[in-house]
Amino acid sequence: MSKLKKVLNEKITGFPSYIKSWVTTFNGGLTIFILLILAILPFLSMGRRTFIRSLSLALIFCIFAASWDFLTGIAGQISFGHAIFFGISGYLCAFVIKNQAWYVSFIFLFIASFFCLLVILPKKRLYLFLIILLVGDLLFLGFMFVVLLLDPMWFAIITGAVGAVFFGLLIGIPSLRFKGPYLALGTLTFNTILIKIFLMGSLAFLFFGSEGISAVPKLATDATVEFFILLISMVIIFIIILHISKSKFGTVLKSIRDDEVGADASGINTTKYKIHAFMISSLFAGFAGSFYALYIGAVNPTGNFGMINSFFVIIMASLGGVATISGAAVGAFFFILLEFFLIEAGLLNWVYLVFSIILIIIVRFAENGILRPALERIKDLWDVLLGK
Amino acid sequence: MISDLMAFLFNGTLQGAVLALVAIGYSLVYGVGHVMNLAHGAYFMVSGYLLLTMATYIIPGFTGFTEGVENLGPGILMIVITLVIITIIGALSYLLLIKPLQDSSVGVVLITFALAFFFEQLIMSTEFGSETWSISEFKVFDGNTKFLGTSFINQYIFLIIISIIIVLLFALFINKSKLGKSIRAVSQDREAATLMGINANRVLLYTVMISAFLSGIAAILFLPGGTIEGPHMGWTYLTGAFAVVIIGGMGSLFGSVVGAFIIGFVGSFTTVIMPLIFVGFPGASWKGVVPLIIIIIMLLIKPQGLFGKKEVE
Repeated sequence: MSKLKKVLNEKITGFPSYIKSWVTTFNGGLTIFILLILAILPFLSMGRRTFIRSLSLALIFCIFAASWDFLTGIAGQISFGHAIFFGISGYLCAFVIKNQAWYVSFIFLFIASFFCLLVILPKKRLYLFLIILLVGDLLFLGFMFVVLLLDPMWFAIITGAVGAVFFGLLIGIPSLRFKGPYLALGTLTFNTILIKIFLMGSLAFLFFGSEGISAVPKLATDATVEFFILLISMVIIFIIILHISKSKFGTVLKSIRDDEVGADASGINTTKYKIHAFMISSLFAGFAGSFYALYIGAVNPTGNFGMINSFFVIIMASLGGVATISGAAVGAFFFILLEFFLIEAGLLNWVYLVFSIILIIIVRFAENGILRPALERIKDLWDVLLGK
Repeated sequence: MISDLMAFLFNGTLQGAVLALVAIGYSLVYGVGHVMNLAHGAYFMVSGYLLLTMATYIIPGFTGFTEGVENLGPGILMIVITLVIITIIGALSYLLLIKPLQDSSVGVVLITFALAFFFEQLIMSTEFGSETWSISEFKVFDGNTKFLGTSFINQYIFLIIISIIIVLLFALFINKSKLGKSIRAVSQDREAATLMGINANRVLLYTVMISAFLSGIAAILFLPGGTIEGPHMGWTYLTGAFAVVIIGGMGSLFGSVVGAFIIGFVGSFTTVIMPLIFVGFPGASWKGVVPLIIIIIMLLIKPQGLFGKKEVE
């Protein structure tokens, strides 16, 4: 606790100076520059709504791809079914906001938080567990109640994300027995099961069948406002993911990725860390799914659970470079903007074909993606310009 | 009642025969090279579309095997060309894509996935699109046979017989021929086999070619009786083959055949018998889900499969 206090104190007292020193470094300066360009882009697009909407979609997929990259790149657990979390949270969010079913989501939040705490907390001390469960849940429900009073939209978004964490647990625990390619096909199988169950006409009373839920309220009526909401959310989520992956926790995950037996032998509880990686990844995938449901304004099994979403996210993260969280953002923007321009050029049928060819070339010839080599080139250029 | 039972047995055998042909190659490739080939379902799908393309554009005069002797030549020519092309595709996918990335398991999974996605999108971008197509002119036998009050489609009876013959021939090939022996040697111990002078990469190349060839045969036999459901059907057969291999054990030929028939009969049980027990049970929509649930349960209980060897990590 005292360490946390110290770090917080450092961050608060030295607030402007460490930001200033970060901005003057190459990475910090470039990040700020790109964020500024992003913030200006909607105004440069001369009110072309489709272009701004594409940018918003790219932001959503940035979050989604980053969550995949966290699970696969940092923790080394190959997931081919990330659309599970994307779809679950989208459905929950759409259901809650459409039917105003606040009580349902309170019950769900309670169950989900119970199971999550069961995994996170130490089980040795039962009384501690019960106290933290009670107090934590009350605090969390109180927080959610305040959110509900302030803005029901965000209540639904958080509900979706927490629901995705719950499913991350449900899928993460059995998946821990799979390794490498088995895990990839296992998660793909989970994804196929879920899409088939959601498509079933006989279960339509539970899961709304192939129609899904339509006429869901949008995130914002104005495309530019929507873009800025998503931009701010994306920046916050990226800061969190980058911090996690650079922290001690992230280092432990990387050690599990590189040598699981070795990590086990050095006293790391690999099972616990893998479950936590699943939960964190599904939380952010859940945010992306909620945003997507509100962005489209409808949910249906093929659109939200479709394996194509799992595939897209793999393509994006591999484009940018696996295990570089920022690479996911580069890949997502590249992907969505290329799609936008190809559709503008009238090549609608060829879009995914082009992507699959790009994916083959990238995986075959540049396993590290395009981000790192590009950054090195820019840095060399920068050094030449500064005369270093 | 008796007709339902016959339908159950027939459907199960049919599904099992098709899955056995698809899964044997898949299992063998994993056993030999530890390569999880996600493009395996795509070979099946591409073979179907190759036949469709040739029947539509290249040799349009072909009206069907059952329509007269003069159709025999072009029909067999098209089937041979399809098998040759699919085998070459298998060889190229190994040489150009899998071999350079063989050492990283993530790389192989990503590249074979990318290949499968490429084939799917390639066909989506042609005029065949995602619609359902029929290649019923490639049926070797038309009509039905009545037996115990149940009618069986002749093409499917032919398929079952041929696939049993192929599986037997294949078992003979693996056990007796020189290449088969080297395939077994590499899958038992790669390093020792290399030391004995077997070129392990060459053997893996032949294995991938054989696996593509076998799924091509499965497509040529099975698809004329039904329909081509669209380019996404490759994934269905991939998960089917995966289920079979998980049950039978990776790299085990006998296990794959047993697993294929288990999956086939379970699927047939869901579609035929379950609606009889629970009235109103939507069997057809659960058919795709049940094998997948079996995979998950099997992976949790016995990850090495019924006949698989325990893997030493």
